[in-house]
Amino acid sequence: MKSFIKIAFIVIIIFIIVLQILSYLLTKKAVTQYTDSELREAALSRNMPSTPATYEELLKVVDTKENRLSKDKIELGKELFFDKRLSKNRDISCDTCHLIDKDITNNRSNKQFSKTLLSKDKPAAKDCVVCHLSDQSGTDRLATAVGHNNQKNPFHLNTLTILNSSLAKYQTWDGSVDTVEEQAGASIEDLYKMNLTQEEATERLLKDSKYVDMFKEVFKDIKNPQAQTLTFENIQKAIGAYVRTLLTRSKYDEFLDGNNSAMSEQAKKGLANFINFGCKGCHTGMSVGGQNIQKFPVRDYNSILDLTNVFIEDEKGREVSGVSLNFDMRHSYPFENIGGFLGMNKQQLFRVPILRNVTKTSPYFHNGTVDTLRDAIKFMAKHQLGMNPSNKQMDEIVAFFESLEGDIVDYKIQERDK
Amino acid sequence: MKTIHMKIYIILMFLTGVFQLSIFNISWEYFRIIQAVHILSSAIVAIFLLVPYVNKHIYEFMIVKKAKSKDGIILGVMLFMITLSGFYLFLVGNRGSDILGVISFNIHLYGSFALVFILFLHVRKKIDTTKIPLVILALTLSASYPTPSYSKNDIKLTNIELEEGVSRYYNEDWTSSAKCKSCHEEIFNQWADSNHRHLVDSNPYYMVMENLAAEDKGEEFRQWCMGCHNPSAVTTNQKRSTHLMNSNHIPDQFFEKGSSSLIDGFNAHGNSRLEQGVSCVACHRITKATSKGNSSYSLDLTNRKKYMFEDSGSISGEWLSEKFINSNPIVHKQSYSNTIYKTSAYCASCHDEFLPDSKKEVVSTFKEWEKSRFNNPKDPSKHKTCIDCHMTYLKNDKFSPLKGTSTTGGVIKDDVKVHYFAGSNHFLAGLKNKTHEDQTIQLLRTSAELDVNIINNKLEVGVKNVGAGHHLPTGVSDFRELWLDITLKDKDDKIVFESGKLKSDGNLANNARPFMKVFGDENFKPIGLFFWRYKNLLSDTRIPAGERRVEKYNIKNAQNLKYPLTVSVKLNFRIYPQWVTDIVKKAYPNLPDPTIVELEKIQKVFK
Repeated sequence: MKSFIKIAFIVIIIFIIVLQILSYLLTKKAVTQYTDSELREAALSRNMPSTPATYEELLKVVDTKENRLSKDKIELGKELFFDKRLSKNRDISCDTCHLIDKDITNNRSNKQFSKTLLSKDKPAAKDCVVCHLSDQSGTDRLATAVGHNNQKNPFHLNTLTILNSSLAKYQTWDGSVDTVEEQAGASIEDLYKMNLTQEEATERLLKDSKYVDMFKEVFKDIKNPQAQTLTFENIQKAIGAYVRTLLTRSKYDEFLDGNNSAMSEQAKKGLANFINFGCKGCHTGMSVGGQNIQKFPVRDYNSILDLTNVFIEDEKGREVSGVSLNFDMRHSYPFENIGGFLGMNKQQLFRVPILRNVTKTSPYFHNGTVDTLRDAIKFMAKHQLGMNPSNKQMDEIVAFFESLEGDIVDYKIQERDK
Repeated sequence: MKTIHMKIYIILMFLTGVFQLSIFNISWEYFRIIQAVHILSSAIVAIFLLVPYVNKHIYEFMIVKKAKSKDGIILGVMLFMITLSGFYLFLVGNRGSDILGVISFNIHLYGSFALVFILFLHVRKKIDTTKIPLVILALTLSASYPTPSYSKNDIKLTNIELEEGVSRYYNEDWTSSAKCKSCHEEIFNQWADSNHRHLVDSNPYYMVMENLAAEDKGEEFRQWCMGCHNPSAVTTNQKRSTHLMNSNHIPDQFFEKGSSSLIDGFNAHGNSRLEQGVSCVACHRITKATSKGNSSYSLDLTNRKKYMFEDSGSISGEWLSEKFINSNPIVHKQSYSNTIYKTSAYCASCHDEFLPDSKKEVVSTFKEWEKSRFNNPKDPSKHKTCIDCHMTYLKNDKFSPLKGTSTTGGVIKDDVKVHYFAGSNHFLAGLKNKTHEDQTIQLLRTSAELDVNIINNKLEVGVKNVGAGHHLPTGVSDFRELWLDITLKDKDDKIVFESGKLKSDGNLANNARPFMKVFGDENFKPIGLFFWRYKNLLSDTRIPAGERRVEKYNIKNAQNLKYPLTVSVKLNFRIYPQWVTDIVKKAYPNLPDPTIVELEKIQKVFK
């Protein structure tokens, strides 16, 4: 017995020593180093191209057969986007949550903030708008979206930015909507957003002869000239057409277009990490995200098996309390799931968020519980990729995300041949 | 249980204790581990092994075998005393003020030598040395316990200097001030509602100004403001200061007492969430500071000596680390205090400001002090540094150094440096805490004296700066309002002259003569809020330290007035002009208007 204890003691000591020196013994995996042109090639070959710089290029990317873009249609969509009549109480327009200024050039570089602040008149909008309108971020920066009658979204879902959303294959947090047109209609009808029925929406707009004329001009049908053009479907199409022009261009795009000095060395390393670590596997496409639906979190999470959920369908995904060393509550996510949202089919399936302008769209995750980008990166690395990036690597990834930040492109929209 | 085991345990405890003596000068990395091993293993050994063993041993030899052993009795008493004092040091600590702590410390230190000596006498046998290698092995193994270190690489920052080999910090390096509260509660509470705490996210004026500056001069320019207002953000490479967000709302922090949101945040997120503003460590880990201004200080967060488990996020770890500190707090004290804190140059590193491009002086409080009679190093009785006024307790409008402790249970000091940081901003601190408002107003009232006279049909009011070691007002004195409110009444109580009244919109009337400096741009036009555009000084009517300034007012028809005339003059102060508050209110509609404080008042009758 005594000798057994002695041996066990020695074995444990040897085990600890091996553990301690293991990190020195293991060979480090070589990190792929890229030159500027290799990096550009790597990004392009992984389907992360730059956003269009001109209107012609824009048409190639966002124009669809179902909703052909035209100058008139985009202008009509813009009017509707900023029209509060599309909400039941006439107090909400699309830009209430998707915060942008009607004049997209009114950004920080245009001193919009000090103009509002130093003007004699009182600010008309909510106090957040005074500072954040000039961000032109396309989102309200609130943790939870607020809509009709100041109600919070029942799932405490966070407003997604509308910028670059037309580049995504799926819309909304669970990816249940395909196009921006469909989403425009859904937002008008949603009880917790603008809460207006299709009939009422068209009825209201029909009272405005300006709209009637505009719709007639944009949607006239040569085969059937008598048909009503101001329909809910056409409202959706017009708004969709405007939203399709709301793209941003950033330093990353300049880099892809050939300007090596556009991105800092740190940001380039961040892009390399983004590719090497596997982030690009899901956050892909021109919008750097929005192209697929994935499970979150996939690993290292909820290792305690929740047997209570197995047989009772209603209880699936219920928050389960388990014993950890710190006696914390266990959650479905690495953060508190306020609102209880569980993604598509309650299976924690989410549309991969768009990372363009991610620096302007805090707080993060579906219920806005995570305040900082670093925390968000940490969670994603740990639970999606099973890795713990070093502080330096995190800095680089943050720098890359900063290089994805850009202003809305002021496209020179031209008439085109019909 | 073998006797030999007990001997080994006692020797082990003795050795780990002895290594903590300063003569061994063991490097801190090992010291903290040895301390933790010593305390924890001693506690376990004492409770589970030593006490049962001694009980059994005494029973066996003194009761059953009736053995008489003098050194055995002494050894037992010594052991009892040392165990007791050890537990006292562990659970209560040697924090300074309680005499039991001091006694325990000495008993534990000197008693242990006696104990080992008597142990040798008692056993009179050879010690079994076969187990010693194992002991040393265990010690070395525990010494290799990895200690967290976050910052050891890259880029160099502009104004603030960091320790060698470090170019930036990470959130975890910045110990939250909420952590200091558990032992320094009194000081924490003073600081928690002070202006130093509320320099950034909870200060609406600052947030508006930083954003305005960024828009006017570019995003990079924020760093100039943040160097002093937000050192933690600058050193963690944050590009801007951010306001707090509580789900969908900006928490209304104007009236929040005791920094409760900071404490809640710390409890929920630990050090991983950055505390913005001037925190405890921001000042208490400044190792060097020059009077140059614009954040001319050096920080060193990584080379401070932390006890075991100090960075632990768990309740038990935190509890243990506090016990470790209290049992032997000297290293902790050395880590967070420095003689430079008493010099004015230390404060000058932020309380002098100049524009980064043109080097034009915006705030020169330190340079004003340097020229004043308060700067008198040859005569220590007359030499007064910043903390002699701004960190000394006031009672009944007089400095009356506070007797008390800076640590709960610590040494009683004759002059505890209070952390209200009373200056001139009675408003923002006053919304949160009346004590802060009171301290600030008391300090303001020590500053000036008034006199009034009517000579040759002119009303002459003299204001003497008697108490401030700098101009009156100082700081960003283009945004401070210090002015004379004058009312002259004749025999029938009819007002025949007035000056310095407020307009209906709350702004000062045009005839008021505020003591201030006015900044102008290159075309000599006042620049208002945009003080970073300063090119030319348009006027400077502030009152230097020790000087008297006379304001003369012409009185129309002075000969025909009905005497006696009654003059009442008030010296009024308002921290921000109304027009500044009006602008800030556009972003923060709930912000109340600052009140006007009457600093001095004089009434005189002329016959």
